[in-house]
Amino acid sequence: MIEFTLDGRPASAQEDELLVHAAARNGVFVPTLCHDDKLDPYGGCRMCVVGVEGSSRPLPACATRVSAGMVVSTNSNVPQLRKTLTEMLLSEHLNANPGGRPNELVDLARELGAEAPLVLPDAKREPYADRNRLMGYEPDTCILCNRCVRYTQEVMQCSALSLEGRGPEARIVPTWERSWLDTECELCGGCLSVCPTGAIYEKFLEGAGVEERQLEQTKTTCTFCGVGCQIDLNVDPETKRIVKVTSKPEYVSNEGDLCVKGRFSFNFVHHPDRLTEPLVRGEDGELHPATWEAALAAAADGLKGVIRRHSAQAIGVLASARLTNEENYLIQKLARIGLGTNSVHSCEAT
Amino acid sequence: MDVLRLATVLETLPRERTRLLDNLGRLRREVGPITPELSDALADHMRLRHGDVHEVTSFYSFLQVPVDAVRVCTGPVCDSRGGREQLGAGAIEVPCLGHCELAPVVLHGDEVVGGVTYSTNDGASLGLARRDETLADYERRGGLALLREPLALERIVAELSASGLSGYGGAGFPTWRKWEAVAAEAGPRYVIVNADEGEPGTIKDRYVMELRPHLLVEATLLAARALGAMEAYTYIYIREEYATARARLTAAIEEFRAAGLLEGLSLDLVVGAGAYICGEETAMLESMEGRRGMPRLKPPFPSQVGYLGRPTLIQNVETLAHVPAILRNGGDWWAGLGSPATGSPGVRLWSVTGAVARPGCYEAPNGIVLRELIDGYAAGLVGEPGAIVPGGAASGILPPAALDVPLTREALTEWGCGVGSAAVQVFPKSYAPLRLLAETMRFFAEESCQKCTPCRIGNRALHHVCEELEHGRAAMSRRQVEEWLDAMTLTSICGLGQAAPYPVRNAFERWPELFAPLGPATLGEPASA
Repeated sequence: MIEFTLDGRPASAQEDELLVHAAARNGVFVPTLCHDDKLDPYGGCRMCVVGVEGSSRPLPACATRVSAGMVVSTNSNVPQLRKTLTEMLLSEHLNANPGGRPNELVDLARELGAEAPLVLPDAKREPYADRNRLMGYEPDTCILCNRCVRYTQEVMQCSALSLEGRGPEARIVPTWERSWLDTECELCGGCLSVCPTGAIYEKFLEGAGVEERQLEQTKTTCTFCGVGCQIDLNVDPETKRIVKVTSKPEYVSNEGDLCVKGRFSFNFVHHPDRLTEPLVRGEDGELHPATWEAALAAAADGLKGVIRRHSAQAIGVLASARLTNEENYLIQKLARIGLGTNSVHSCEAT
Repeated sequence: MDVLRLATVLETLPRERTRLLDNLGRLRREVGPITPELSDALADHMRLRHGDVHEVTSFYSFLQVPVDAVRVCTGPVCDSRGGREQLGAGAIEVPCLGHCELAPVVLHGDEVVGGVTYSTNDGASLGLARRDETLADYERRGGLALLREPLALERIVAELSASGLSGYGGAGFPTWRKWEAVAAEAGPRYVIVNADEGEPGTIKDRYVMELRPHLLVEATLLAARALGAMEAYTYIYIREEYATARARLTAAIEEFRAAGLLEGLSLDLVVGAGAYICGEETAMLESMEGRRGMPRLKPPFPSQVGYLGRPTLIQNVETLAHVPAILRNGGDWWAGLGSPATGSPGVRLWSVTGAVARPGCYEAPNGIVLRELIDGYAAGLVGEPGAIVPGGAASGILPPAALDVPLTREALTEWGCGVGSAAVQVFPKSYAPLRLLAETMRFFAEESCQKCTPCRIGNRALHHVCEELEHGRAAMSRRQVEEWLDAMTLTSICGLGQAAPYPVRNAFERWPELFAPLGPATLGEPASA
């Protein structure tokens, strides 16, 4: 631990800790917009500038590391600078909420009492319509913090988004303005999850217009594969239906990252065709609700019948990609010892 | 697109990411303007992400336009001399083409329409009036002696320190300190010459490269040898618009190579593609490493962590070109060319353009009085002067009343101005200060790399404020404008955004009546860096 001074009070930090974290642990919240702990420090939005003794200009807390004896101030001219920078961002922020995602810029403006003194005449950006059904993008909500682009480059290592151009025409677009479907993008929605203003958002009809913050969150484990990503099911309090899936950076197995299935494929939960109880086909050829005991007994009888008539080698076991390692282990045990067949496969292998 | 041609060219292109900008330039010249398809083909060849090449291609002004395009300069000097009237169909508007003494300037492909003439003098340090055609010419004037019998680094640093030479690119950092700092870091080290001259009104580096290319090459090699950059590499990053300088340097480097003077060294040209910000040293490093030319956060400084993470000496063309004269004749001699007693040692190149009789590039002492420079070198004013810009776009604006000011940092600070890159631009009285201001802010807005909020948005807003004022309208209040200027000065990442407010503050001071619609000025001191 090292000692430093924060707003006139002694404070401690870990060696080389980012100032923004050290300040937070010492009870001083420094606002950020372009910063994301998953990404390399960028220092672009400048919202987090703080005074540091010995530096002629304030320094970005998101990209400055604490050193022993450092004297840091968030008073003096820092509040005014934050307010001015917020005004600047608002002066081209034409659409504050295209898809119901949280907008940190609007929150900050409210907190600081900042309003745009003018609307920049060149604020309007060319609209972007993408034919994919999952993610939408509203350029007029973008503050060019570049988090989404850096996320695709640094975390996903893919080419989905670019910071295009220079000067007033600069904007963020899918690579060469193609549809995301025609880039390397796998529609994981990571860009959307790091966007501080909600410029990239879920395109769902259900729950559209309900602010993400008004949704009830239930933490659970994604069922799509064995990784065990931790997710939050966001439920509309009125309809009690899941309207979106989010995740948080502090969730251990996936650190807030999701894949296209985990983030976007939850509609099966409410689908009328979804099986919610065991069904067994009766003599009449129709499926009838049954207890688990009866259903498992029927399955066992069926399998035994096959072994009797054609030998165990006639059976192959195909495991679901959704299973965990442990479940896969049990499957092969069931196949080899229980059923007596070596034909075991997982659809994950294809 | 000629696919067969593309395949042949692609095969010859290196795959290192540091060669991305060069590769894009070659594709543009040899195949055609960079289209999404060309960009993707190059990305595949270099094993880069398509988006990486898209980001870089779109960052520069020229990669997506044909090589034979007509480029019209609408920088302030050209604009004041009718530059916009040259804009025809299909012509591309460019902020400054670096030939301001010939204003208005139009480039057809690489050629300056109407040809290039030089107007300069035979200064004691650089002697630009006598042009070197060949390496032999250069050697006859005493060149190469230093390269053949190199001085020890300590001696070089001592002479540079005695000379008082400081960076002539605009920032004015003492040269000897830079050399010492880079030498103190563990090698290998890089030496990079900043020949991305782009400050409107500045033509001096082009004069050096076109008239005395061998001098620059020798100075570069001297730096490389002195800093032990032996096994490493030396680069000259030159702006794309300087085709003649590029050709002359290429030929000079070949002569050095043929004469065995490059033994153990590597000296390559890196050609830009139209982006003012790449003259900022860390943006230049990013550009050379194959990314968008967006400035890095400092510290660390390039002398510690520079090109590819190695200690790097980055010097402006003119600064480096003075080094051989200093080492040959001694630092004290060179300092004596100016007035060291008054804190202005040595000489520098002054680009004098606009409403003067003989616009050109002249070697004259540091601290020369503005009127003396204009009368004694540029043959006097033409017509009644209006605004005078002493040192490039961000150096501020002087009124004609300041003609008797010595051009020193101290004297100009009193006028809220700076010496910058010593690009003195005289505007006729008929060119309204608000027009000049609006054009200047437009330039900064268009050249902003978009990384930081204050520069990205502040310059656009100020451009708008100036344009509205031309119609007597107030887009923002004076108090708000001053708050925004403060935020730009204090929180911008690099010199572009930090310095852009200077001309506006000068104009507030000089021509308060023009800003009356914005309301009363606020009390209190403006923020200073």
